[in-house]
Amino acid sequence: MSGETYYSILGLSKTASLDEIQDAFAVLAGRFPENASIDSNPEYGKLLQAYEVLSDKDRRAIYDSLLVETTPPSLEATVQISRTKMAISDSAQLFYLLIEITPPTHVVRARRPLNLCLALDRSTSMQGTRLDYLKTAVSLIIDKLAPDDIISIVSYSDRAEIVVEPTHINNKNQIIAHVRNIQASGGTEIYQGLYAGVTQMRQISLDQYNNQLILLTDGHTYGDTEQCIELAQRASETKIGFSAFGIGAQWNDSFLDQLVAPSGGRSAYIEDPTQIVKYLEDRIQGLGTIHARNLHLKKAFPGNTTPQYGFKLLPFSQPIDLSGSELNLGNLEGKGSLAILLELLLQPQEHETRITIPIEITAEIPEQNNHIQKITKQIQILVTARAPETAPPEDIVKAVRMLNMYRMNEKVWQDIEAGHIGVAATRLRHLTTRLLEAGEIQLAQQANAETERLNNAGELSEEGRKRLKFGTRAMIGQTLKLEE
Amino acid sequence: MIRCRDCGASQYEGTLYCSECGRNLLQDAKQATDVLPFSEFAHKPPPPPVSELELDAEQKAKQLTFVIPNSRHRHTLTLNKQIQIGRAFDDTTTNLDLTDDNGMELGVSRLHAIIQWSNKGIVITDLGSTNGTFLNNHHLPANKPYPIQSGDELRFGELLVHVFY
Repeated sequence: MSGETYYSILGLSKTASLDEIQDAFAVLAGRFPENASIDSNPEYGKLLQAYEVLSDKDRRAIYDSLLVETTPPSLEATVQISRTKMAISDSAQLFYLLIEITPPTHVVRARRPLNLCLALDRSTSMQGTRLDYLKTAVSLIIDKLAPDDIISIVSYSDRAEIVVEPTHINNKNQIIAHVRNIQASGGTEIYQGLYAGVTQMRQISLDQYNNQLILLTDGHTYGDTEQCIELAQRASETKIGFSAFGIGAQWNDSFLDQLVAPSGGRSAYIEDPTQIVKYLEDRIQGLGTIHARNLHLKKAFPGNTTPQYGFKLLPFSQPIDLSGSELNLGNLEGKGSLAILLELLLQPQEHETRITIPIEITAEIPEQNNHIQKITKQIQILVTARAPETAPPEDIVKAVRMLNMYRMNEKVWQDIEAGHIGVAATRLRHLTTRLLEAGEIQLAQQANAETERLNNAGELSEEGRKRLKFGTRAMIGQTLKLEE
Repeated sequence: MIRCRDCGASQYEGTLYCSECGRNLLQDAKQATDVLPFSEFAHKPPPPPVSELELDAEQKAKQLTFVIPNSRHRHTLTLNKQIQIGRAFDDTTTNLDLTDDNGMELGVSRLHAIIQWSNKGIVITDLGSTNGTFLNNHHLPANKPYPIQSGDELRFGELLVHVFY
């Protein structure tokens, strides 16, 4: 057993005194027969060994120094703040936090088997190329699964069908044959697919697996969005995570964002059906190396500060739902770290004061029997009459810059929905400029084309809107990733 | 609150990029305007509001000459759509930049006021400046356009400017 130390053998903590060690040894040794020896009884040998080392001051010191390295390595968090000193002011002020959680570097993680369910849209609109690419993608990614992984596949239109029940992939051809038989027909009712998928996944002992449902859809779902989000919420409580990919332009992007929010999963826009396989592969690869699961940040901000906006930058860009008592950050997966950016508003401060922001993150460590690890940090802000102008950390500036473009694009949409076409067009023109400054030529061209369209037709194209949304979203994570 | 120099939007202190137009606000942070301790000029209460005034988006070109007695500078600018008044503009050919007229010391905000066309002729609007805009010694309320005439005396903080056209 890896967690066993001389201290645990004696049932003591590392701070035990010599008296406690002697007492513990006396009690435990008394449980063995009087004639017990190291050779005849290995347990007794262990106890004796533990006692000999710990009762000797010098040997104990050496043992303690070695012990530090053998305790399970833990996650680490670094927190950067845009400024630590703020001026006394009669108006509210903004500040930003960049929280980065890194896995221990020197540990090779054992891969936890996947319990993967694919919920595939087979509505009429999928007919033809889309469904063909989807089928091909599914048969390709089956190859990427490990022998101990489990896959189930459901297809849905206005009702769901079980294509493949939860199974290991030892009979690949049979799985592929079932997928090939999916026929397109009917409308899109996502709840049907999700419900059938979750039901399949629950046949497997969820604690042993890394459970993920990946939804692929190309259409708006009608009348069941509430049900879907409720289901995603319940599923995340039983350790089933959701990811969702939209194909084509006719689907509801904010709905997919909401759907993956409870489990901190990923939602994305697959513009070109040939890219389906890439997105699925990426997702499965990420799921293959999970350092920690269900990371949560406790919303314990002091009363004079309000979180305004939260965004996950790494391992993939995704908005964070700020509504609950905890922020769900999803999994720490893949090669790099998990990073989030928070924008907070500090209420007007009229006197010199010190503000403490507690950062408390919890995470399940799969390798340690889902042991919950807690990371706590504190950030101090001094509100003072003389706050020097200091430059915020580079990483924060870069992330905020990119995030701001994403938010501008979101605002364009809000302007349009509110009927403020002129405002939207002006904003979109600004966005075009900023995208150009950032060297995002393609997105700038898209924004420019959409500005024209907005001026002429008073609306955006569905494709353009999604390209801008997911294009600017993807930029956010990219900037930080390039640094590594 | 700080004001974006590009689009004039109000932003919280500490904002890094303007939420409305995306401008990098960090580059402006070091040039914040100080509140002047006192004014050597007496000033009159605000003039009565002008009714039925509408800003005019239509572009009419007109040459405006600004004479600054203090620095003996003379700036001639063409009013097309608007002339912004303040400090350190990227483009000083279309905006009245008062940096070299001791604007910083005399309490001119980075984006202090704006001159535009309206249905009642040329108007000036104070953009919530730190030390105020004065028209013939009347302290103008922020964000309300007021008609001006050739020969008027404008004051931005403590900096006197005469406008002729």
